[in-house]
Amino acid sequence: MEREAFIVGRDDLILITGATGFIGSRLVASLLDRGFRNLRCFTRPSSEVARVEALLGRCRDGERVEMVKGNLLSRADCAAATKDVAVIFHLAAARGEKSFPDAFLNSVVTTRNLLEACLGRPCLRRFVNISSFVVYTNTQKPRWRLLDESCPVEKHPEFRGDAYCFAKVKQDEIVTEYCKRFGIPYVIVRPGYVYGPGNEGITGRVGIRMFGAFLHLGGLNAIPFTYVDNCADAIALAGLRQGVDSEVFNVVDDDLPSSREFLRLYKQNVARFKSFYVPHFANYALCYLWERYSNWSEGQLPPVFNRRTWNAYWKKTRYSNEKVKVRLGWTPKVPTPEAFRRYFQNCRSRGPDA
Amino acid sequence: MLRVAIVGCGKIADAHASQIQRIKGCEIVGVCDREPLMARQLYERFPVKRYFSDLSELLREVRPDVVHITTPPQSHFDIARFCLERGCHVYVEKPVTLDEEGAQGLIALANERGLKLTVGHDDQFSHVARRMRTLVQGGFLGEGPVHMESYYCYELGGSGYARALLGDKQHWVRRLPGKLLHNVISHGIARIAEFLTSESPQVMACGFVSPVLRRMGESEIVDELRVIICEEERTTAYFTFSSQMRPLIHQFRVYGTKNGLVLDQDQETLIKLPGGRFKSYLEKFVPPVVIAEQHLENVITNAGTFLARDFHMKSGMKYLIESFYRSIIQGTPVPIPYREILLTARIMEAIFVQLGASRPQVHRELKVQNQRPMQNALPHQVSSPRGLPD
Repeated sequence: MEREAFIVGRDDLILITGATGFIGSRLVASLLDRGFRNLRCFTRPSSEVARVEALLGRCRDGERVEMVKGNLLSRADCAAATKDVAVIFHLAAARGEKSFPDAFLNSVVTTRNLLEACLGRPCLRRFVNISSFVVYTNTQKPRWRLLDESCPVEKHPEFRGDAYCFAKVKQDEIVTEYCKRFGIPYVIVRPGYVYGPGNEGITGRVGIRMFGAFLHLGGLNAIPFTYVDNCADAIALAGLRQGVDSEVFNVVDDDLPSSREFLRLYKQNVARFKSFYVPHFANYALCYLWERYSNWSEGQLPPVFNRRTWNAYWKKTRYSNEKVKVRLGWTPKVPTPEAFRRYFQNCRSRGPDA
Repeated sequence: MLRVAIVGCGKIADAHASQIQRIKGCEIVGVCDREPLMARQLYERFPVKRYFSDLSELLREVRPDVVHITTPPQSHFDIARFCLERGCHVYVEKPVTLDEEGAQGLIALANERGLKLTVGHDDQFSHVARRMRTLVQGGFLGEGPVHMESYYCYELGGSGYARALLGDKQHWVRRLPGKLLHNVISHGIARIAEFLTSESPQVMACGFVSPVLRRMGESEIVDELRVIICEEERTTAYFTFSSQMRPLIHQFRVYGTKNGLVLDQDQETLIKLPGGRFKSYLEKFVPPVVIAEQHLENVITNAGTFLARDFHMKSGMKYLIESFYRSIIQGTPVPIPYREILLTARIMEAIFVQLGASRPQVHRELKVQNQRPMQNALPHQVSSPRGLPD
């Protein structure tokens, strides 16, 4: 019944870039669980062998998981990767890059190469671009406090002081531009903060470690968490559901905890450490002063904290997953309490972040 | 207004654009990268007039006075020559070219055309490096350096660049004759070259792939290098490059006949080592206090520079660019003497030859008059390609 609403059959070839990554490996699992048995996993030459083997180890009788190593900066590799594919899930991107050109090169130029490789491929039914919540400006939202798919993205991401944000905004732009110009069906998925085993860090939306102390910045703000398995399911559905071309989907779980609740749970379940709450007005003032100083000193301190950052990360905001639920039929299969239990358990075994 | 262009819009181009925009009397009239998207991203983030994906078009359309070349080293020679032939002064990122012959050719061409050239040895123009130079020129060391030690360490584990390099067998750094070393050690070698007086010092190099990299399956990236440089039984120098030793230091130690100096690039500190000794037990108590006092002075100096808004991470680059532009406008000498650029290139080439690198196959058709023949064929004293002398 469910499969009838999908745009491809179980034997159609599906390409996943970044397949051995944090989300990518779960997406492969999600697709296999849904009965799709012809997957092509594109990974970097430097991908860990263990991760590749783990993916291949999931393969059961009748399933074909092809591992393709390559570099999306190579047009030849992109052409080989996209040959005969029906759906592309494009997850590969530069994460954690502080350099703008490096982040741009590994997110935007690679995406452009992949899109150009898609031209003239009649079998391609959908290109799924994985974006992020970081692209939202969160300033002049049409609906006060609610961040949903209708909210504007940063018009000048270069002023945000965040290479990842800049690259993701530009990646979304190039996907939209190419797909509209060349008639490639596409969907954009914007997950919130994806957490789970494999990503043990505490998001900067909760707080940051600075000068040896943990500064709690989130306060009572809800944190847009999405557990990695739930997120992978939403991405899978975004690539498969009929009638959602050109749509954008935000992905966050239900029952989002506040920053304060999360920090309390983290300390209870993982490790105790001292944290200092910085009230919202003080946080805003610090961001403002940092921004002013950065400009005045011609970048002696890089503009990593500024009012745009504050709006995006620490402004009081509500999040909605209504669209992804209604249009894709998605529900978070791992409830938030269970997701946190798994996450904290993994944090304990791997060592705390803060 | 000096018209500046940047060719190559990768990571280091950001540093150039950031520093150029802080300099009065110049403007970035164009940026160029063969990947148009890369050129556009630089154009969008900095006050740049236009962007191009074709170098000829850039030179024709915006007619820059100076071109900053921030592409991978393999292309430095061809791009620099192209720009010089079209009447532009050039600032080439380090390493200037793949070998000494290329550097000689470019310098000769610049001289022939009445143009200027410099290389991105910007560490030598940081605040602390300039303080050290002033002291040396003032005779603090006595009769010049007796011995120097240059440490240039490199974090291979953490950077995205290193991850990309180690994970990609086709990475452009692997195609350099000296591979990783070729792209990194210029700063550390140039510090030594600045104080050498002879044209052909002896160079003895020993390099190897660290056990950590070998365990990762790496066999060709040499990440541990020790070099002894010796000139005419007068001045000696040790150069150390390491990805494994901790702390990861970037230090330069120079010892003269009277006193010594220790420059720490990371901490931006300069410590004077007095040549005299105190009597008896005083030697155990007084010098540590003197050194502590100097550290405090360094802290105060650095804080003052920070408060004066002149303590940027790339302040040395700004100073070098400003000095280079001044030399163009006012006709003063270039900030880095050509002799020093060539000597740095020569020492590096000698190191790579000893490590077993093949000479770069670069097609050159330079016909330059008055090309001064440089001494080559450094007296390598190494019998095995990767070993210390017997």
